[in-house]
Amino acid sequence: MFKLIGFFCILAGCIGWGISKIAEEQSRIRHLRELIRIIKRMQDEISYGKHTLPEICLILSEYCDTLYRPYFRQVYARINQSGGAGLERVWEEQMCQCLQEAPLTREEKDILIDLLQNFGLQEEKLQAQNIGQSMDLLNRKCRQAEEAYENRAKMLLSVSVLAGVFLTILLL
Amino acid sequence: MFPESLRDRWRIAAQQAGCLQEIRLRVNAPAAVLIDRKEWFVDEDGSLVDRQPAAAQYGAEKLEAILKHLCQYSVYAFADEIRQGFLTIQGGHRVGLAGQVIMEDDKRIRNLKYIRYLNIRIAHEIKGVSDPILPYLYDSQGKVCNTLLIAPPGCGKTTMLRDVIRNFSNGTGYGDGVNVSVVDERSEIAGSYLGIAQNDVGIRTDVLDGCPKREGMMMLIRAMAPQVLAVDELGSEEDIQALQMASGCGCRLIATIHGGSVEEVQHKKYMRNVIADRLFDRYLVLTRKNGCCEVEGIYDGDGKRCLN
Repeated sequence: MFKLIGFFCILAGCIGWGISKIAEEQSRIRHLRELIRIIKRMQDEISYGKHTLPEICLILSEYCDTLYRPYFRQVYARINQSGGAGLERVWEEQMCQCLQEAPLTREEKDILIDLLQNFGLQEEKLQAQNIGQSMDLLNRKCRQAEEAYENRAKMLLSVSVLAGVFLTILLL
Repeated sequence: MFPESLRDRWRIAAQQAGCLQEIRLRVNAPAAVLIDRKEWFVDEDGSLVDRQPAAAQYGAEKLEAILKHLCQYSVYAFADEIRQGFLTIQGGHRVGLAGQVIMEDDKRIRNLKYIRYLNIRIAHEIKGVSDPILPYLYDSQGKVCNTLLIAPPGCGKTTMLRDVIRNFSNGTGYGDGVNVSVVDERSEIAGSYLGIAQNDVGIRTDVLDGCPKREGMMMLIRAMAPQVLAVDELGSEEDIQALQMASGCGCRLIATIHGGSVEEVQHKKYMRNVIADRLFDRYLVLTRKNGCCEVEGIYDGDGKRCLN
């Protein structure tokens, strides 16, 4: 009886691990989509509204996913403080903090952290196009992640079940 | 105003911000500030010195960093202004720019590159500066007179205009508060940020920010039904035409123009008819004597002095 309960516990644990890995992958896709949405909004605000970067941060603090909101608000607040830090440093610090826990790869995080390096052009359409390159990069990453997701989910689930069975046999 | 790396160097100058009038930065030349009409140089430690050899110099890279910081990394947002050779930053401070001009095929200015000369003019809001002249800006029925402020650059035209607007809007002992609409083409009058005036322009004032005067005046007349319309720095035939149209709509006008006297303004081709037709009831001439800005005189529509 105990052996049977043990078998189910090990199996459930392994399947749980598999499901958490699948959820992580889902979360990565969700974050990538959100980052694409943020950059798209930035593009629109640049090309249509000709807003400055701090103004865009203020807009994003009310518009984007709740996870990112406080960080964009912080960027806006910190650079508007008297004697506040420069935008470059504030942006990097806030985005690093914001993406610290996000299940993204280093390369994907760097796309947003280094976004400011793409700024400095004098024409709004060109500037919008320029940050569009970062969006294209994220789009590609997102597409790859979505395509791989189904197979990866199946594989993770199978591996977790098999690992559970294997562990049980080993422990028996 | 300055990037973090340079901020310490400007701390002492910033402490004297109340009297600070201009900061002039030129590539490979000493950084200079104008405090109470006296030129000082800023040395490497940030101290103000009056000897040129001790002054710090800025290379092209530093100037670019300053410009980028002034534009908040958003040069594109200031492209139209840069094309005209200036940009207005938060607080209404105007930054004059010079560098190399890129021309369009049709000989229009397309852009400015290699910006190597900056003249940062610090805006000052001086409340009450217009109080002594207010009695002359109302007629006997307590209505606002059409007024033209005349002054050479740097004599406080915009500061005076801003305070007159505030007084007209809030109301004074000489007349009730009226609805004032301001076409703030260069964001210097109200110093708007995110659409909100940073300077006090009065409780009955509507501000159209960043709009060319000609279009702005007609938009405001149609949309906001102002009793007084205010514009800064008339400078073209088109501005005058729009002003005449606005006057025909029953608005009272208050405007500024560059010049040293009423006669000098009269000699401007586009102003000749305006003065002959008595579009303005009052001419307020500002001047600078011994380094201080003061009212040189107030004249009525016929050019007779009301105030010496």
